[in-house]
Formats: sequence, structure tokens, C-alpha cells
Amino acid sequence: MGTNGHGALERRRSGALVKRTESAERIITPVGDIYETSDAFVVKLDMPGATKESIQLNVEPGSISVRAAVGPFHAERSTILMDEIGRKSYFREFTLGQGISHNDVQAQFEDGVLTITLPKTEESKAREIKIKS
Amino acid sequence: MLVRFDFPRMFDDLLEEVSLSDFMPVNGRFPAIDLAEHANEFVAIAELPGVKKEDLKITLENDVLTLKGERKPYEIPQDARVLQNEMRVRTFSRSIQLPSEVDAKNISAELKDGMLRIVMPKSERMRARQIEIR
Repeated sequence: MGTNGHGALERRRSGALVKRTESAERIITPVGDIYETSDAFVVKLDMPGATKESIQLNVEPGSISVRAAVGPFHAERSTILMDEIGRKSYFREFTLGQGISHNDVQAQFEDGVLTITLPKTEESKAREIKIKS
Repeated sequence: MLVRFDFPRMFDDLLEEVSLSDFMPVNGRFPAIDLAEHANEFVAIAELPGVKKEDLKITLENDVLTLKGERKPYEIPQDARVLQNEMRVRTFSRSIQLPSEVDAKNISAELKDGMLRIVMPKSERMRARQIEIR
């Protein structure tokens, strides 16, 4: 899941430092946070410019992938003076471990941030063990 | 005295502190901006994911457009365990010089889906000048 520094470096390589050419589509790895609660894993991805309709979320046993094409944001006839956003696609994939109820995955898109909730299966939820005296 | 030089960690820390991406627009500290010119207006778009309208300030001074604000942290349950934290940027600021005078009173801005769109009509003077050239 790219929790180490290596993942971050890879992100830079695939995102920030990618060369922009007209012919090749720019694919950006969206920046993401992940946290775990007692009953779910929550993934948050920055995808500014995407819309609820443009996001494709694919959930399979063992993996989850997100993609969205964004732009162009300007009328065709306009003269572009600064071009840092342009057209691009977001893509990011995560490997899911055992114990995720992949049929119950939920997603929400707000302020350009995609939130994916991956509920744990009943068997994989933490249980408190009562200690008998 | 035992001195241990923890090179790999130091290098990692350094990477965290001064990563190249801090200077790249995608990082968020300096939001990425596109600027387009139309016949009668300039249109700027900026990437501001997770930013609320009330936490963003847009100013215009001497043809310099400045976006400044804060991305407030999202709510996270108390018992949550953070596994990956890449959205570290909290405050952001970016200024761009506009190529010509704009009509400051009629600037409009809209923040939607993490994308800010600012429409800045060219000033009467600039528009008049354009007509003269023709």
C-alpha cells in the first residue's frame, strides 16, 4: 500500500516529475491517506477537478483501483498563459488484504477528496476478550 | 562516549523535510494554477482539494492575484490508527502576476470539487486599447 518512503518517492516520480507531452496522457498518482478504525479501513485521495461522475472505482477481491480523467478546463479558443494542471488522469491502485468485506465498500466525493470506506468482515474485527478471574 | 550516525534515517528525514515535491505545484503548498486569456477576460483555475470556501482568501493587488488559506484536517475517529499520511500540507499560498489590468470589482470565483475557478474581466481601459489596435 505504499506506506514506506519508497512509495512517496514513486509518487513523486510518477506525479510531479513526469514530463508533459501532447501525445502522452499524463497519469497522476493522487496523494492519499489511509487510516484504520475498529470496523473499517478508510482511504482518502486528493482528486481535484474530478467529478462524482468521472470517477471509476473498481473493487475486486484483493484489490481496489481508482481512476478519473480530468480537464480540459479552458475553452478551446483561449490562450493558455500558465499550464500546470491541463488535462490529466488520476490512477491509483491498492492491494487489499484478507478480511475486507469488498461487497460493502462505500465511496464519497467531497471538495475534490474521494473517501473510500472498506468495512472489515465480522471475522476480522477486533474483539475484546473478557478475562475471567 | 558512543556516537551512532544513523545515516539511513537522517537521509529519510532530510527527504521528508526538503523533498523536491515541496517546490512542485502538485504538492499543495503552492497550489497548481492554469491561466487562460480570452478576448475579454482571464480565467484562472487552481487545485485546492479539501479546502472549504471559508478557509480561502483571494486578493488582488497591483495585478498580482494571491490565493491564501488553510486546509483544515478532516475528522478522524479517536480510535483510528493512521497507516499512511501523505496529505500533510495545511497552509498554502500562491501569487501570480496577471499580464494586464483587470476589473477588480467584477471578479468572480467558484470553488467546486476541489477546483477554484476565477473569472477576471479585463479592465475597461485594456478592452478599449484592444479595440484601438483593430
